[in-house]
Amino acid sequence: MTAQSVRAVPDRSVRELPLTQAQSGIWFAQSIDPANPVFNTGHYVEIDGKLDVAAFATAVRQLAMEADGLSVRITGKDVQIVEERNRPLLELEDMTLRSDPKGDALAAMQTDMNSPLDLAGDPLAREMLFRLGAERYIWYQRMHHMVTDGFATGLVTQRIAEIYNATVAGGPKGAELTALDVAVDEEKAYRGSERSGRDAGYWHEALRDMPEVTGLKAGLARSASSYDRVERMLAPDICDSLLRLARTTQLSWADLLTALAGAYFSRHVRRNEITIGVPFMGRFGSPAARVPTMLMNILPLRLDVDEEGGLVQWLAQAAGRMARDRRHGRHRGEQMRRDLGLLGGQRRLYGPLVNILPFDALPRLTGLETRLTTLGTGPVDDITFTFRGDPAARCLSLEVDTNPLLYEAGETQSHAKRLANFVGAAVEAALAGRSLREVATVTDEERSWLLERLNDTAHPVTDRTLSQLLEDSFVSFADRQALRFGGRSLTYAELDRRTAALAEALAERGAGRNAIVAVTLPRSLDLVVALIAILRAGAAYMPLDLGHPRERLDRILASSRPILVLGAKDSEPLGTIEVFSPPAWPTEPQGRALGQTAGGSAAYVIYTSGSTGEPKGVVIEHAAIVNRLEWMRQHYDFGPSDVILQKTPMTFDVSVWEFFLAFFSGGSLVIAPPDAHKDPRAMAQIIRDEKVTTVHFVPSMLSAFLAEPGSRGIAMKRVFCSGEELTADLRDRFHERITAELHNLYGPTEAAVDVSYWPAVAGDSSRPVPIGYPVWNTRLYVLDDHLRPVPVGVEGHLYLAGVQLAREYLGQEELTAKRFVADPFHAGERMYCTGDLARVRADGAILYLGRSDHQIKLRGLRIELGEIETAILSHPSVTQAVVDLREDQAGEKRIVAYATLEGGEADDGAEGDILTHAGRFLPDYMLPSAIVVLHALPVNANGKLDRRLLPAPVFAGGRGLAPVTENEKLVAMLFERILQAEGPFQVDDDFFDLGGHSLLAVELMLHLRETTGHEPGIGVLFEHSTIGKLAKHLDRGAASEGAGLQPLVKLNAAERGRAPVFMLHPAGGLCWCYNGLARALGADRPAWGVQALALDPDEQAPETLDDMARDYARRIAFIADRQMIHVVGWSIGGILAQAIAVHLTEMEQKVGVVALLDAYPCDCWRDEPDPGPGAELKALLAIGGHDPDGLPELPLTREAVMTFLAESESPLGRLPAAALDGMVRVVALNNRLVRGHRHGRYDGPVLHFRAAKDRASDGTGLRPESWMPYIGSLDIRDVPLVHAHMTGAEAVLHVAPMLKAALLEHEMGRAKGDEP
Amino acid sequence: MTKPLSLDLMREDVAAMIHIGSAEIGDDDNLMDLGLDSMRAMNLVLLWQERGVDLDFSQMATRPTLAGWWQLVKRHIDEIAEARS
Repeated sequence: MTAQSVRAVPDRSVRELPLTQAQSGIWFAQSIDPANPVFNTGHYVEIDGKLDVAAFATAVRQLAMEADGLSVRITGKDVQIVEERNRPLLELEDMTLRSDPKGDALAAMQTDMNSPLDLAGDPLAREMLFRLGAERYIWYQRMHHMVTDGFATGLVTQRIAEIYNATVAGGPKGAELTALDVAVDEEKAYRGSERSGRDAGYWHEALRDMPEVTGLKAGLARSASSYDRVERMLAPDICDSLLRLARTTQLSWADLLTALAGAYFSRHVRRNEITIGVPFMGRFGSPAARVPTMLMNILPLRLDVDEEGGLVQWLAQAAGRMARDRRHGRHRGEQMRRDLGLLGGQRRLYGPLVNILPFDALPRLTGLETRLTTLGTGPVDDITFTFRGDPAARCLSLEVDTNPLLYEAGETQSHAKRLANFVGAAVEAALAGRSLREVATVTDEERSWLLERLNDTAHPVTDRTLSQLLEDSFVSFADRQALRFGGRSLTYAELDRRTAALAEALAERGAGRNAIVAVTLPRSLDLVVALIAILRAGAAYMPLDLGHPRERLDRILASSRPILVLGAKDSEPLGTIEVFSPPAWPTEPQGRALGQTAGGSAAYVIYTSGSTGEPKGVVIEHAAIVNRLEWMRQHYDFGPSDVILQKTPMTFDVSVWEFFLAFFSGGSLVIAPPDAHKDPRAMAQIIRDEKVTTVHFVPSMLSAFLAEPGSRGIAMKRVFCSGEELTADLRDRFHERITAELHNLYGPTEAAVDVSYWPAVAGDSSRPVPIGYPVWNTRLYVLDDHLRPVPVGVEGHLYLAGVQLAREYLGQEELTAKRFVADPFHAGERMYCTGDLARVRADGAILYLGRSDHQIKLRGLRIELGEIETAILSHPSVTQAVVDLREDQAGEKRIVAYATLEGGEADDGAEGDILTHAGRFLPDYMLPSAIVVLHALPVNANGKLDRRLLPAPVFAGGRGLAPVTENEKLVAMLFERILQAEGPFQVDDDFFDLGGHSLLAVELMLHLRETTGHEPGIGVLFEHSTIGKLAKHLDRGAASEGAGLQPLVKLNAAERGRAPVFMLHPAGGLCWCYNGLARALGADRPAWGVQALALDPDEQAPETLDDMARDYARRIAFIADRQMIHVVGWSIGGILAQAIAVHLTEMEQKVGVVALLDAYPCDCWRDEPDPGPGAELKALLAIGGHDPDGLPELPLTREAVMTFLAESESPLGRLPAAALDGMVRVVALNNRLVRGHRHGRYDGPVLHFRAAKDRASDGTGLRPESWMPYIGSLDIRDVPLVHAHMTGAEAVLHVAPMLKAALLEHEMGRAKGDEP
Repeated sequence: MTKPLSLDLMREDVAAMIHIGSAEIGDDDNLMDLGLDSMRAMNLVLLWQERGVDLDFSQMATRPTLAGWWQLVKRHIDEIAEARS
């Protein structure tokens, strides 16, 4: 008799045992999510035949007595108690009388599976037998994962079958199962053993430097309450081939499948170094092998997938690793997690689980037919690939289980098909001695969908060239207006004559097919004439920006050799090339013949940034751009009524469709003034004035445009975005403010502007916004590093093919050959490697994911960081340079250069010197915002540059004296807010030196306007870029004239210190009344008055009080800059204060004290009749500090009131008439808005100062308690005055001390409350 | 047809599975120390099933030595004989 068959008789007095480590893992997981029933594992066996029910019940009873691990209760994180009454005896359920015995049985089982168990009390294992009919049964077995794992479940099931068979048919009785304490003791012994130390050491080494582990999907890998499963059988020939491969390689087929599943995973995460999870039974070679309990471990299997070498060699390597891992497989995965600091679900120890189950789980019962169905095998955190069965029996299934929180239903199905296909193909490749490289990731079906169906874009296009089509339009639309610029316009006929005349002159000067004519003109009518004339002459136009550095221009001219430059009369000469200026252009054609163009003639050459420091000249042919323009015209249904705005600089290829598309449809083109494209306010004005139907924005500019108050409510036909990523938030913000279709386009200069489109129209809820589908005659491929199509949802390189591809990079054959490669899917055609990463969505739309190389996009412009590095390295003292795009503040991308210097030390001013040097080679948009000099560049263990260790640049101010004047202080504060740089700033600090760039400049202007009510215009900032200069400009300018009426006014001299208080204007819109209170709050308490915008007759009045409050809240939050915000308001100001508190809370700002000076909710006024005539004047008196009801003799006329105010020496009396009219207007507006306002709820405390003298006796029914439905709590303080005097000198004596105390109390309390 | 299972055949199968010479495996050597692991042992069980002997993997796993396994085989054969008689 063998040792293990002598069953240790459990000591009945010892009922308490510790948990196994595997059980502890499950216990923790379940206790995090106690109501989750996914830890119930279960299956059922359908039994057909004459089951001996009594014998079966006996078999289950014997099993229950042997398997004491099944009857435990878990009373704590390390205690299990064997509970006699929890032994799983067979429960019989007779379903024969039911109308649907099987359906009811299935429902009962499902209900049981879905019921979470109480580990401390409920029986954790259950055995049931449903009788469905005379010879039909269902045997249901359910165990909590605490007491079983896959192996233990097999033990239990087979053991019951074994006992049953021995009883009814005299089969072998077999050995009894082993008691739980054997497993617990064995584990205890292991934990203290030398072997466990060796195992720990092994894994420490094995996991050293493991790259961050990813799953197939981003997101938290924590099991839902159920999982999705798709099961499919592997084809018999795959089974055969697998076995053949196993035999020839002498590797186990199980290891082959595990390794191939790993390779499959690697294809989906675009990495060769991957880690998958492999379940490990954890009891081989141990007496615990026959203990039914939870012992399973999951080992991380690190694989380095080799695509290039022989597949067989790699499989052998992988199997070797698995063998070594298994030898040390007792070391717990939970421990590895702890050692690596991978706690919580975000960071993982492994990606997918790959599980091989070679044994048939089906119990064989003598004389009966059985079929097994799995109901649950425990949690699925992410995705599990299970291969079950025996290839020798040609019966091998693949089950894919997925977490429904991470995977959509279709994805599970796709993985099952794709993995089965991949395994089959890989096995064949291995047998044929090939490498993995030759194995496709996708199935044939997927391949044809990805490559053909999605790219089925064939569409007839005219074979006329761009110049011919323009000429056609000149005839068709002769009398229509073609072009407008700055009050001048041209008809199609005029444009025809002018361009024909110039084309003749150009032809005379040598312009013709394949000649290049450079253009440097600013935006103007002449510019459009120039471009068309060049095309009509048969030449290609080449836009150049004279603002770019001379060196760059010289290189471009040297490589492109234009025959002529069309430039402004007074522009600098470009080398020896003749400049032909508009005054010299002929205006009437002579009728001479012009050069002919063909589809293959070059139409334009646009230079883009190049990685080697050499700009790249992209040559686009007529057929390519005609395809793009004709697609756009027809796809978006452009017609003669369309007005397109040309505002994109011509060196950016978006300008190409802006220039020409209107002419294709007989519409008109409006040319924006030069530089207007940087000014959102000017844009909004032009769009309204010119009735523009179509406009393009780079998304960052669209964002600035939407922030511009003047853009609100604009209606157009369509807005196009391209050039950088259109975010879903921006799309949504767009549709909140503007009525127009929004379309997202994508394409590099190398493929005639755009190659894909996506309607980001209202109602589109895609997140992220796709770049969409290919345009006509265009193909988009998403391929991996080996040019194989990647599956849906997987990141890959985006390639483009079709008629829109550029001809070449001018004069750079090598580079052309490198980027325009042979299309592997269409013989004889080329495809362009965009360098962009993308993935295909389930509906076929392409998502843009970013750049794959060193190239970046900043504010719509493509920039090669290498070109900047080259420029910096050319500085004589720089030894090394790295350039990075940083986003140290959310949404603020800046180029930062890092350099090391000869001798290692930086002189003072070295940074500035390097920047100046780089500026000689680089255009402004490529200049770094900062140069950081380092002793050495940070490197990782492999000696490679570690970009993550590059320090954030410090943009620090401090030049010159401290700000003194009000405007200096104001500008300094705005700089600080907008640049998020280190203060304090001094008067000589320069906006651009501190990291400011053009979009931040737009923001600065916006806030300047919101604070002062006046905007000097963005051009002023370029001239007056220091604090001192800009402040002086404001002192001189219009801002000073409206002093006291600006939207935000500083009410006291306090600068920094305590959290600011914002005082909201009462009905009249001004905050002067708060002066006394503001000063009384102390020298360390900044107080701001928020005044009505509508005081300025040019400003649009808000439509609702809530709109007004939202706008105020936004401005307040900007000024407060994340400090706590206190709000105070008198009368209507109090209503605003409450509404602002609601919005600030929504914006996640810290709201402090909300103090109302005798203010009452709108409900009190809603039903009151509109105040009669004279109400505004009465309000004016009140604002002036007089109680109008106390002046019954004063006639309510404008003159009388003004005279009275002047005589009473009220400051109001000195206001210009326009301002007083503004106030009257504001009073009327506010009275109206108050009546329409519905309060939101502010859940915080509110402090109410009641005008006790009015309220004690009055019958107005105004009670502070009416606020209760809209606020969290109310604290009422009585002030012995009337309403009209609530901000006067006497009121200050009462209110200020209480308010000060409340502010301090709130801040202290808040500070305390913030402590953990 | 496959050969009937014998102790020496088992030794050869194990040796092939762990890539060592069969002479190197003693009857009482712990096969885990020689590099056998659970996955390979499962493959052996499947292989021996093909040779007509249905061994219980969990019993094999409790004591992975050739001698121990041969005892299981013999008992299995005896039990079948007993059941048939």
